[in-house]
Amino acid sequence: MFVNKMTPAERIGALLIGQTPDRVPVMPFVLGYAAKVCGMNLGDFYADGDKCFRAQLLAMDLHGYDQTPFYGYAAIGAWEFGGKIEFPYGPGHSAPIVIKHPVEEPEDVDKLEVPEPPAGSYKESIKVCRSAVKLGMPAIFQIGSAFTATGNILEPARMMLWLRRQPDLVHKVLRKAAEFFIASAEYFVKQFGAERCIAFDGGPTESNKMISAKQFGEFAFPYINQVHRKVLSLGVNVILDHPCADQTKNISYYEQIRAGAPGIYIWNFGPETPLELQIEKFGKRDIIMGNVDPPSFQNKPYEEVLMLCKENIEKGGKNPRGYILGPGCEMPPLAPPVNVHALIKAAKEYGRY
Amino acid sequence: MMSKRNIYMCAHNFDAMSKEEILERLAKSVIEGDVETCKKAANDAIVAGIDAYEAIMQGLAKGMNVVSDLYEKGEYFVPEVICSAEAMYAGMDILKTYLKTEKVKSPGKIVIGVVQGDIHDIGKNLVKLMLTAAGFDVIDLGRDVAPSTFVEKVVETNADICAMSALMTTSMIVMPDIIKELKKRGARAKTMVGGAPLSDSVAEMYGADGYSKDAAGAVRVAMNLVKW
Repeated sequence: MFVNKMTPAERIGALLIGQTPDRVPVMPFVLGYAAKVCGMNLGDFYADGDKCFRAQLLAMDLHGYDQTPFYGYAAIGAWEFGGKIEFPYGPGHSAPIVIKHPVEEPEDVDKLEVPEPPAGSYKESIKVCRSAVKLGMPAIFQIGSAFTATGNILEPARMMLWLRRQPDLVHKVLRKAAEFFIASAEYFVKQFGAERCIAFDGGPTESNKMISAKQFGEFAFPYINQVHRKVLSLGVNVILDHPCADQTKNISYYEQIRAGAPGIYIWNFGPETPLELQIEKFGKRDIIMGNVDPPSFQNKPYEEVLMLCKENIEKGGKNPRGYILGPGCEMPPLAPPVNVHALIKAAKEYGRY
Repeated sequence: MMSKRNIYMCAHNFDAMSKEEILERLAKSVIEGDVETCKKAANDAIVAGIDAYEAIMQGLAKGMNVVSDLYEKGEYFVPEVICSAEAMYAGMDILKTYLKTEKVKSPGKIVIGVVQGDIHDIGKNLVKLMLTAAGFDVIDLGRDVAPSTFVEKVVETNADICAMSALMTTSMIVMPDIIKELKKRGARAKTMVGGAPLSDSVAEMYGADGYSKDAAGAVRVAMNLVKW
């Protein structure tokens, strides 16, 4: 039976500096699941950064995985820019949702002001980061995506329509969203020091289920690239990038974002993007994370999940710069705990170095 | 209905155009997402005496079917489809007031919605658009729809199909309850499900009669369920 020879911090630390850890690290992309497994209301998890941190810390302890607490959600941008969100207290809810978008008419775009940090959800995020840093863990904060945030500011269907009908308005909001994420990154770096920070980015609105690669190139890439370059120039050395849902066709743009940029990326594409392709494109310089199909954790029995994890280890473990086992998107909050355990079990059984 | 004055004005400005040309313009304006041309073509169709149902099915819907193919092939994406939808609905708003009810043939009636707890409705709206273009009578319940609302509406309307959408793993779990309740109530409706966390195997596990991974496929599934 495998016995851990490293702590989570040592394991991830080894990977980040290009050394071989004792086994494949596990980052289960846990957010709302932590609340469920602690008996905490999902709404409270997102409404209160202190409760959010506590639930994640307990879930870490319960399972023994390597992910540290962080705060973020896909509806980022709406609250920060003056709209309204609703915390997930209702049946079937899984994360905050937008109930009033900051922009409803074209005239609202010019009235949109870039908020001073910490704005909206970042007031909770900072609580999580403070508690994490006190325990020697990194301050992990959200830097996008500017495109998904713009969708939350405009309302996604309106944004899709305006991409064709009023692209200039979309660009105006994208510029403001990028500015906001840069200002927020500067704030967190000032609070904690760049060496203690990890930035995470990603969003589903720019997936190829929504827009073409060409549209990604015109509307998403410039702003993601701008934010990343700035964040890295502040001295933040690690970016965890989650191109959510199927973004396989956008890969060449992500290659451009990466080219010539310093630091190290942890890439967590959706399950639609084969691990082999990610390794081919990014494996020389960056860590690959993933890529187990997330709904499987909720819908499949333990034995099948374990085998899925094993398959992913066999593929991902070939990445020259290192590999982290995890799902291809957020762990379903309702996943049976034994299926989250399957990740750790697989890493110990099949991921020893 | 157009006033006699407006009809007269249109007739005076109206370049004589064949029925085929007008239907072609309706379709093309939908494909190109050109709202103004679609509205003009719809009015031209009325002035030319083209049956409104034929103009919808052989013009607007034909155009939307092309859009659906382009979307399925990965040549059109959501922005293009939404623009096409804008045009199609603008044309329909004009033509539907001239519909003679007895001429309308529909493959069936579908109740559609995004399940409770979920507000992601772009996928559902694309499915609704393509089902409408295919001639289905679509009753849209919107988003964050309680299970009881699905059941009551299906029973009330004697719908042929209950179509449920979910994007979240936390919201999809109500689908088997809705399916069970419909069976318990003796509803004749078939059920179909869709959305990112769904799959063929999950749909089968839930007891659904059909599943589609995308909007274009949803029309084929629906047609199959009503045996059209």
